[in-house]
Amino acid sequence: MEIRTETTGGITVVSLRGDIDASTAPQVQESVLPLVTAGSKLLMDMTGVPYMSSAGLRALLSLYRQVAAKDGKLVLVGLSEEIADTMSITGFLDFFAARGTAAEGLQFLQEG
Amino acid sequence: MDAKLFPGTLESLAGIADYVLAAAAHSGLDKRATYRLRLAVDEVATNIVAHGYVEAGLSGHIQVVATTHSDRLQVILEDTAIPYNPLTQATPDNLDTPIAERPLGGLGVFLTIQGCDRFAYEYHDGHNRNIFEMNLPTPTEPTP
Repeated sequence: MEIRTETTGGITVVSLRGDIDASTAPQVQESVLPLVTAGSKLLMDMTGVPYMSSAGLRALLSLYRQVAAKDGKLVLVGLSEEIADTMSITGFLDFFAARGTAAEGLQFLQEG
Repeated sequence: MDAKLFPGTLESLAGIADYVLAAAAHSGLDKRATYRLRLAVDEVATNIVAHGYVEAGLSGHIQVVATTHSDRLQVILEDTAIPYNPLTQATPDNLDTPIAERPLGGLGVFLTIQGCDRFAYEYHDGHNRNIFEMNLPTPTEPTP
């Protein structure tokens, strides 16, 4: 699992690469949660993630709650078709802003 | 494919996934069904490690074996952890509840049952056996 973080114009971009299963989800959670501060704008680029299990869903849920608690804004970009499917049947997709590309995600975060 | 034995730890999940992906490719399962099978096996293997072995203070192995039949691919996980029947875990009935408000148990089992064409659980002589089956798109020759 590779996790790259960069900040640009008040937006934190986290790029993930690799499968997110029960052995790697904790790394994602531990790396990303501390990035969320008051009013954070966070873009999670998942273009490099071909697979995510329910352990990843739980990590995303923790992130969602953290962002909501801090009045931040979160967008997911680059979800594979299969991951979007998993998020859809579990009802997760309705609660996340998701965009196709990083550029679209940045635009979404800059709007608000 | 020949059965393969993995230590009952989370570090084995990647190897189990590789085995399932190889079996799916060999059987001609399509991309979407392959993903669903891999997810189902991964979710159950995670539960075996986390609940069957670690939480129970036990250690052991998970054996994986895949068999291609004429009409379906079957994958069986077998372990000696505490008896655990995923089918007794209630399917979450809160999928419409905002995720900020819902507890998150049972998602893995839900994805397993949703994703497989057939799923079965057997307990026999101290062994849990989880059986996953995916229909194959077109008949193929059975492998021994």
